[in-house]
Amino acid sequence: MSAFSDFWAGRELWQEPLLAGVLAGALLSYLGVFVVLKRMVFVSAALSEISGVGVAFAFYVASIFGIDPHQHRGVPVLLEPTWFSLLFACLAGVVFSLRPGHRKLAPETIVGIGYIAASALVLAILNSPRIAQEAHAVGDILFGNAVTVPRSLIAALLAVGVAALVIHALFFKELLFASYDPETALVQGVGVLRYELVLNLITAVVISVATRAVGALPVFAFTVIPAAAALMVTEQIRRTIALSVVIGIVAAAVGYYVSWVKTLPTGASMVIVASLFLVPGLLRLLRRGTV
Amino acid sequence: MDLVRLERAVIGYRTPLLPPIDLAVRAGATLGVLGPNGAGKTALLKSLLGLLRLLGGRRVLPQGRGPRVGYVPQRDRLDQSWPLTVLDVVLMGRTRLLGPLRRPTDEDRGRSREALEEIGIGDLADRPLYALSGGQHQRVLIARAIAAEPELLVLDEPTSAMDPAAERVLLELVERLKHAHDLSVVLVTHQLTAVAGFATEVALVDRLRGVFEVGPAKQMLDPKKLGRLYGREVRVVDVGGQTAITIGAATAPDGPERALAGGEEKR
Repeated sequence: MSAFSDFWAGRELWQEPLLAGVLAGALLSYLGVFVVLKRMVFVSAALSEISGVGVAFAFYVASIFGIDPHQHRGVPVLLEPTWFSLLFACLAGVVFSLRPGHRKLAPETIVGIGYIAASALVLAILNSPRIAQEAHAVGDILFGNAVTVPRSLIAALLAVGVAALVIHALFFKELLFASYDPETALVQGVGVLRYELVLNLITAVVISVATRAVGALPVFAFTVIPAAAALMVTEQIRRTIALSVVIGIVAAAVGYYVSWVKTLPTGASMVIVASLFLVPGLLRLLRRGTV
Repeated sequence: MDLVRLERAVIGYRTPLLPPIDLAVRAGATLGVLGPNGAGKTALLKSLLGLLRLLGGRRVLPQGRGPRVGYVPQRDRLDQSWPLTVLDVVLMGRTRLLGPLRRPTDEDRGRSREALEEIGIGDLADRPLYALSGGQHQRVLIARAIAAEPELLVLDEPTSAMDPAAERVLLELVERLKHAHDLSVVLVTHQLTAVAGFATEVALVDRLRGVFEVGPAKQMLDPKKLGRLYGREVRVVDVGGQTAITIGAATAPDGPERALAGGEEKR
């Protein structure tokens, strides 16, 4: 039996996680074009980690009330990890939109502090005696495993994806102007803060949901690598976006396939495949002598 | 008719930069804002445009609304790594006219191409932004400002890093656009020659010396006033019908240091 036949025979097992990976790849690589061009790549890592604090916090609060968040039917709506995850990510998205900073603290430094603090909080909460025995299961919810993905999460990915695309379709010119030249956009009456907020909130929600579906590493990678690969070989924004999305989808699908047939970690395989798309751009730079 | 007016306005980021000022941008006027590096010109411009909250006084809009502004930022502030064509950038100028939820139409593309033709770079419309020279880039930004169909054209240091010939060409272009589109112009610069011969009114600004004066260009481009502003000896001479301004030796103790001190105080 060839590797592909073996893979095909197991389609009942991989349909949902593959779909989740492809959806996450497409969405994140679209948003990634803005993330990379706005030079805020670390924001995606920070948002992913901060949404993780929300999940861990939900478990911690639930444990105080003696509730097991794994038993979805018995969990009050307000203690659902998903809501905490979205809430924390959105709050971080708002804070990052306000461009907090100081003469000596660049906004990137604030994002870095958010990332570090969130990582420490997740570790601290997961290792607290109240939920230590569930740490592994919580870890899967926090950062996904891309092997098993519940249908509810795929539905959530689809919903936030449609919302993100509709908002981008309606306000693309404003989002582009406000991202490219905020100073002039502001002078010409475009609500820069409003559009910055919209962009960051969409990014926060997509990252929060995608992190639970496929894991933190592929989310960070899909937000950065496809956009970077596309930017190196295109010179028009619409082509860049289209190519980035194609790379995101192909990297997710091929990465999943490779992980199946070679028995490799799924998230890591997706990242490695995505990285291969950087090669044409790097060769182009070498040919031009700019490396 | 004034397009926008500051009355007893106290400008600054947290603390006042200047004494309370009165300043009006009149319809059809070219206001040159002059001052050394770090004088507070950018803060003044932001206050005039309503981007910086006044610490005191008020900003008056005699038309009952803010003027439509075409803004030309300092060229080095824009990121050339974006995969945008010249037309993409000029189309951004149409954003406010289009309003939300509407995509640029063929008419908007036509108007943007017309703006590029008028600036003399119509053939560059489909070029990527990164492939342009500095002068071409500056013209693209002016085309974007014109595509916004402004009443007020605001240029922030448009001739910095330009050689004298290119500076002259650019200022002549602005003058031509002013008449063709019946514009008012605000030109912020630290280059004296950019103002002489083009501005109808001049504002002299220096926060360190607490200087703010505004008046007709002929009155303001006075060697004594400019000398006080720059802390150096200034000569204003007529060369073949054109005003030339030269700066000589320091007259104030901090003159040499001020000349080297760069950067505005921002936040």
